[in-house]
Amino acid sequence: MLEARDLTKSYGDTLALARVSFTISSGVTGLLGPNGAGKSTAIKLFLGLLRPSEGSAEVLGERPYENVEVRARLGYMPEHDCLPTAITASEFLTHMAQVSGIPPAFARTRAADILRHVGLDEERYRSIGEYSTGMIQRVKLAQALVHDPVIVMLDEPTAGLDPAGRDEMLDLIKRTGRDFGISIVLSTHLMGDVETTCDRIIVLEAGQVVEEGEVSGFTRETETIYIEVVDRQDEVLAALAAHGITAAPDVGAIAVQNVGDAEYDLIRDALAESGARLRTLGPRRHRLTEIFGDGGS
Amino acid sequence: MTESDGQLFDLGYRHYEGPREGRMRARKALFVNGVRTSFGLGRGATAKILPIAFFLFVMTPAVILALVASTFGEIAPGETLPGHADYYQIVSLLILIFSAIIAPELLCSDRRNGVLSLYMVRPLTSTDYVLGRWAAFFAITILFVYAGQIVLLLGLVLGADEPLTYLKDNWLDVPRFLAAGAVVALLTTTIPLTVASLTERRAIASVVVIGLFIVTISVANILVQCPERDREINDGQIIAEDCEPLTGSAAKWLGLIDIGSTPIHLSDMIFDKENDEQLAIQVAKLRNVYPILWYALWIAGPGLLLLARYRRISS
Repeated sequence: MLEARDLTKSYGDTLALARVSFTISSGVTGLLGPNGAGKSTAIKLFLGLLRPSEGSAEVLGERPYENVEVRARLGYMPEHDCLPTAITASEFLTHMAQVSGIPPAFARTRAADILRHVGLDEERYRSIGEYSTGMIQRVKLAQALVHDPVIVMLDEPTAGLDPAGRDEMLDLIKRTGRDFGISIVLSTHLMGDVETTCDRIIVLEAGQVVEEGEVSGFTRETETIYIEVVDRQDEVLAALAAHGITAAPDVGAIAVQNVGDAEYDLIRDALAESGARLRTLGPRRHRLTEIFGDGGS
Repeated sequence: MTESDGQLFDLGYRHYEGPREGRMRARKALFVNGVRTSFGLGRGATAKILPIAFFLFVMTPAVILALVASTFGEIAPGETLPGHADYYQIVSLLILIFSAIIAPELLCSDRRNGVLSLYMVRPLTSTDYVLGRWAAFFAITILFVYAGQIVLLLGLVLGADEPLTYLKDNWLDVPRFLAAGAVVALLTTTIPLTVASLTERRAIASVVVIGLFIVTISVANILVQCPERDREINDGQIIAEDCEPLTGSAAKWLGLIDIGSTPIHLSDMIFDKENDEQLAIQVAKLRNVYPILWYALWIAGPGLLLLARYRRISS
């Protein structure tokens, strides 16, 4: 759906993107990286807001900086403020649908539908100036979806939201990707956002792609087993040691490295012998934060 | 969940399968939105007060002239009363103030609140955007200037002893006021929008536009005024008046400094009218081509600046 080929963008002496090549297919793709990594530049190139210095950025087989018509099938939710305050969400979305090429009668229906989907059914006839931050983020998302795009690009969609608002927004993004069937490119510096919503990930750093692949690949199950017990943790550790298993306490649990089928049986026996009451036992997925360190989240 | 629970069922997301009209629809939408914004439609009542007030102000002279003409049919406007040829000169200041106040709303707000970035990712170019906004405001201004002339025409026709004969004798006034009205509207649309493209603050744009017109008219009038006049009077009537401006023969050129009057000079040419304002008298001494070129410069210069400015902003 999106393809960057030797994509380069420089601003004077500053190189924002340096000959990057990648493809983004349908689904939810995270564009992850710290501020200044080139994420916003990449999105602006795919939207046709910028022209590449070298190489090409294609969306649905077109170069949006040469053919503006393709933008009728793209959606964009910017990070910055982008809403008028004096008109209602309903009126604004109806207008924006028309600017994306949808005739007025259809535009009104689409506006009402999409506002319902983002949870602003009741409030749609109020002026946007009266909205809370969470509601404003929803209208921003709604305007990106009102014309039923094939791909929507979201730039830091959880910026400025409190934890509850952030969860709601991430849930809405997941629904957009999975239930609405709209492909998403999510640009963020928050690893948690990518982890909870994305299928694939492209990590940018200093204008280069440093990692890319399936999110499940990054968070693959490791061979570490975590055992949480209600009591008698020391007895469990002793019993494991007696069975020849190396284990160590790890933030309220016991971690056992390099577990194979044979070790599972031994762990079961050690637990039974220790008499401890078991709370959980199982592998734990690595979190992206562990893979990429603590940068930015 | 059963229906008796009184719950609403989520119908789920439905893809849009209706017509998509691309760039043409986008341009139309911008135009219509620009017209609505100028009239304050879709916003609170206060946003509608100014446009309505200006419309009433602009219409008042036309209505008064039309009423006088229809009441006293024998007093033919254009001779003893102002007529079509004088109307733009009478209302031009009002049109200028209206444009200075309302036009910036079309451009400044979109940039200040960031909506422009949403337009620029839709099937539009920056030129489409500017032309859409420009066309919307031009349409509004044309409506304002033509409405008064049409009311005046109706008054004159209905007030005439023989309406059909009046129309037959004066039909040329219609294409003349249409052409002159377009000349006025072009200037009062282009300059305020260009100024508005240079600032995000509406108030600043309005003050700069009004200031530009006030300063240039004041300076021009000072430069063309006559310190003393030699009048030849016969039976109490002025039959000849000799005016020698302080700036001498340069006065006819200096009269052009007044930007707000540039469309009026062209209107006088279109109506073949001898204007008795000192500034217009001076400018009329020039060959017609110079005021026309000067006017064209004030349309093309700001117009190109407006387009260039938006190419830059959107990239």
